[in-house]
Amino acid sequence: MSRQTSKTSTAQHPRSSTLQRKDKVSNSRLLEIRDLETRFYTENGVVHAVDGNSLHVEAGETLGIVGESGSGKTVTALSVMGLIENPGRIDRGSILLWGEDLLEKSQREMQGVRGCEVGMVFQDPMNSLNPTVTVGAQIDRVLRFHTSLSKEERQEAAVELLRQVEMPEPEKRVDNYPHQLSGGMRQRVLIAMAISCKPSLLILDEPTTALDVTIEAQIFELIDKLKAQFGMGIILITHDLAVVANSCDRVIVMYAGRIVEEAPVLKLYEDPLHPYTRGLLKSIPQLDAKGERRRLPSIPGEVPELIRLPSGCNFSPRCELVDEKCTHQDPPLIEVAEGRRVACWKV
Amino acid sequence: MSTTDVAQTPPEVIAPTVEREHRGLLAEVWHNFKKNRLSLTGGVIVITFVVVAILAPLLAPYNPVVQWDAPPGEHHPLAPMSRSEEGKLFLLGSDKFGRDILSRALYGVRTLLQLAAISIAFALVLGILMGAVAGYNRGTWIDELIMRLVDIMLSFPTLVLAIALLGAFGIGKTEIGPIEVSNMLKIAIVIAVTYSPRFARVMRGVVLQEMSEDYVDAAKMAGGSGWQILTREILVNTIPPLIVQASLMTATTVLTSASLSFLGLGLQPPRPSLGIMLNEARDYLFLGAWWYPLVPGVFILLIILGFNLLGDGLRDSLDPRQARRTRV
Amino acid sequence: MGIYILKRLLLAVPTLVAASIIIFLLIHLAPGGPVRVMLGPMQDPALVEKLRHQLGLDLPLHQQYLRWAGKALQGDLGISVTIQRGAPVTELLRQRYGVTLQLAALSMVIALLIAIPTGITSALHQNKIADHLSRLVAMVGVSVPNFFLGIMLILVLGVFLKQPWATGGYVPPEEGLKENLIRMLLPAIALGTAYSAIVMRMLRSSMLDVMSQDYVRTAKAMGIGWGSTVRRDIVKNALIPVITVIGNSVGYLLGGSIVTETIFRMPGVGRLVITGVFRRDYPVIQGIVLSIVIIRIGINLVVDILYSIVDPRIRYGAEGE
Repeated sequence: MSRQTSKTSTAQHPRSSTLQRKDKVSNSRLLEIRDLETRFYTENGVVHAVDGNSLHVEAGETLGIVGESGSGKTVTALSVMGLIENPGRIDRGSILLWGEDLLEKSQREMQGVRGCEVGMVFQDPMNSLNPTVTVGAQIDRVLRFHTSLSKEERQEAAVELLRQVEMPEPEKRVDNYPHQLSGGMRQRVLIAMAISCKPSLLILDEPTTALDVTIEAQIFELIDKLKAQFGMGIILITHDLAVVANSCDRVIVMYAGRIVEEAPVLKLYEDPLHPYTRGLLKSIPQLDAKGERRRLPSIPGEVPELIRLPSGCNFSPRCELVDEKCTHQDPPLIEVAEGRRVACWKV
Repeated sequence: MSTTDVAQTPPEVIAPTVEREHRGLLAEVWHNFKKNRLSLTGGVIVITFVVVAILAPLLAPYNPVVQWDAPPGEHHPLAPMSRSEEGKLFLLGSDKFGRDILSRALYGVRTLLQLAAISIAFALVLGILMGAVAGYNRGTWIDELIMRLVDIMLSFPTLVLAIALLGAFGIGKTEIGPIEVSNMLKIAIVIAVTYSPRFARVMRGVVLQEMSEDYVDAAKMAGGSGWQILTREILVNTIPPLIVQASLMTATTVLTSASLSFLGLGLQPPRPSLGIMLNEARDYLFLGAWWYPLVPGVFILLIILGFNLLGDGLRDSLDPRQARRTRV
Repeated sequence: MGIYILKRLLLAVPTLVAASIIIFLLIHLAPGGPVRVMLGPMQDPALVEKLRHQLGLDLPLHQQYLRWAGKALQGDLGISVTIQRGAPVTELLRQRYGVTLQLAALSMVIALLIAIPTGITSALHQNKIADHLSRLVAMVGVSVPNFFLGIMLILVLGVFLKQPWATGGYVPPEEGLKENLIRMLLPAIALGTAYSAIVMRMLRSSMLDVMSQDYVRTAKAMGIGWGSTVRRDIVKNALIPVITVIGNSVGYLLGGSIVTETIFRMPGVGRLVITGVFRRDYPVIQGIVLSIVIIRIGINLVVDILYSIVDPRIRYGAEGE
């Protein structure tokens, strides 16, 4: 994969990533997660937030991770970033970025990876920026930690980054404080910070949930543009199936800490296999051509507590196809076709 | 396992709503409270001292006020575990008048807690009234007036205000018109006036918060008769924060009362008072009479500590986020 | 921001005026009239009348107030009637405020030197031993009456350890700066301990609040080093609410100095007000209380201004989209 050259060249700063892109393990994927188990040891019990999941992302593609809150999608992202803290622990698995296992890296090394090789943008931009530091200074700090650019170069780079994320009047905005910017603008700043070192992988955790729908469209266009420009792989975490349809190449559906289905996006919408996926898709409001009034179907029941998972398949209490086997044995995730996996006894 | 770095954990992981039997708010608070060791200690301390205060006449070995049971003359404070000429055993020593320090201290606790109780009661009543009236009429001139008054009162440091008021009224029994006001009552009123602004603020805050809740709008739309129930609802919800504030304020009022006594502006001798004992002790420091200030001082310290721990603990039990952070 | 300051100033003035009215009325609260109280057992009616006229007490109330306030604005706080007959109150205050202010300042410095590092460390190592220990100590610190602490310090250091500088008293700086400061050490500790504990707890709480904020998560996600995050994201934001506490607590220091000066026999304003109360010297009492309230309100104003400078959200209002 060729590196994009632009005005801001990221020379290797001692603290930045040790992943020399030239030396990456040949034929390895951008991201490969194997058998990841992330657990939280709380006072009330052990929470299996990510329960033995495997997935991968190729360079240049967008992987969507869909699920309700509590499904483990955010924890997966945090695991990749190395941001799992007490009382959480990654107990098993490997996370390979260009073939190198991130879980083997020290804290210091991970600091170099975060914000440099892998960027992440979180859900609610309103509070995600330090209110007492200017936006430009915050971008500057990221550059300071990951590059060896001079002060003037960093200042130029900050303005340029804001321009790239389509911030109006970037030269002025650089000196603004976060509260002087709208939600959409703040999210752009955060995206700018995340891509400042041209990461190979960009993780977006519900980046537009807290924003207006109109802004949402703009943000996704921006992300597409950046993806094309930098050739990044993107993990897009969301609960909004419409967003998934528009922006993702492949989709993973998670439920209660487990992956229940994986498919290329079109296939998922055409032919969902897992009952949960089907339920989700059915509950998208449709503009009915006949103008009939229908009650919006919803999946009965509630997401289980991650501390008290039901025996057998996690989805069994709510599943319409449930039978004896489902309540006693956990269905494994098996590959049923090229690029398609499902975890269900009834498929 | 200690809950460190709780800050950055995704919310749904950190507080899974484990299904327990449905508890009422009170039971939930009690459960949290019990888990916090510090607040339990506080509660124990407070209860102990309250019991001491009530039982003082039974617990005190000797009458705290009777002095000259030996020929009047030089009385030096005697060390703990020494005996007077008549064979009285001073468990914690004696004071400059030959009185048993332990007895005096026990009665001192009694008077201090009595004073604190009356003061806080008055302060609560006054503060609740002001705060409720202000909150109910938020935005109107009534609210403005009351809150201005509160601000003005708060611009006086508490001890200074109390001293100024006491200074104006004079020391000892006072006569306001035809009514004779006892010293203790007067001090209680002064302290109550000094501390009621804080209660007023808290009360108003809670009232405003409750009034902006959805159920209030719903009840308003339901019609006038709902108003009665509403008032009760709001008032009930103000109780927890007020209890927290009351506990913490009691600690401060105890401190202020003791300070006033120490300065000679509070309860007058020969009434037993922990503050006065500390003042008397100053003259005998050079003799090394360490028990003279230590006993009353530690008692005051423990009482204040008890109420502080209790108040803190209650506050933590009421605020789940806070509790998460400060769990011992 | 200018508007913010102006608003604050405009609010402060009526508060000050109202407080002064209360202070003025103090003298009239005394049952039986202030004059009778001042004269004590000598109730010669002619003398009473003379004194009343002298003090202007035969004028209508509002006129009295205006007279008093007017004089006060010009720096004339009346004349001491019992403590030092005839001496202008302002003069008495001037002699003694230096001591009190020095004590308050020293207490504050010592207190903050302990509170700030402790508060920060405590929060950063939440629930570890250092944290529990500091919180326990802070708890006790808040609960110790400052007069008790002062007496015990004198007992231990002055009597048992026979340190001459630990027995109280005051030495003016002109007569020896070292002597002056070392004699102030114990009083400052006695006075500042509770204050220190309050600030420490407040700072710790503020730090914990900030540490759970989203922007700290952002910093971590961007690979920013922990040291920089602590300094720039956590501490910087955590100190902001603490500024108000530090400022508001000055009132506590002034009140507490009354007791501390008494114990350590320091010729400050605190001790003067007590003497004034015992000797019924109302002009002195009024003068001191008024000056304390002015200082309090003044400091609140300064704190507000400082706050608006430090917090950009107030300095530059939101400009939005």
